[in-house]
Amino acid sequence: MNNIEENIVATSRFGEVAFAPDDVVDFPRGLIGFPALHQFVILRLNETSAFRWLQSLDDPRVAFLVTDPKTYLADYAPPSADAEQHLVLTTVNIPHGKPEEMTINLAGPIVINAETRQARQTVLDSEAYTTRYRVFAKESRPPEEIAA
Amino acid sequence: MLVLTRKLHQSIVIGDGIEVVVLEVRGEQVRIGIKAPKNVAVHRKEIYDQIQEENRSSTDVRPEDIPE
Repeated sequence: MNNIEENIVATSRFGEVAFAPDDVVDFPRGLIGFPALHQFVILRLNETSAFRWLQSLDDPRVAFLVTDPKTYLADYAPPSADAEQHLVLTTVNIPHGKPEEMTINLAGPIVINAETRQARQTVLDSEAYTTRYRVFAKESRPPEEIAA
Repeated sequence: MLVLTRKLHQSIVIGDGIEVVVLEVRGEQVRIGIKAPKNVAVHRKEIYDQIQEENRSSTDVRPEDIPE
């Protein structure tokens, strides 16, 4: 019997996952390319991992691998995010079998209001931010700061 | 697709609050000005497409490839 404070989503990757209503993040406009997906929960792989899955509740087959970009770029601060109120995540791309080629998308950060649980994916249309920042490449240069 | 031909400094109005104007033509490049309400996103299409592609790829990551 389900605890009435607990909801379950049957995901394609992780089987059944429990979450609380307070964990739900709402994207009124979905994500870019996925405008019909609005309700998500953020799943941790384990206690220590820097990576999370942004799991869709509308389509259980869809989950985006995300991470906190500050793990790799301490100064990354999209103009649209207020550090105190907002959680910033970026999507992560790992070519199959090549974790050393992992990239994160600095041009399309996901900004979540920690209090209201409303979120959106913003577009940073600037040469300073790349959609494929190679986090492990020694020659990767951090994006230069741009004026707001 | 609606196709219009404009000369330098001529504009196009879209909906109620969006205006697109040709600011400058230099060789193969066209400088375009866009007036739109703050709540309307305006971006170069390539960026939008790239972000969409990165989103899609991030759904395709194999859990076993994720570093510890």
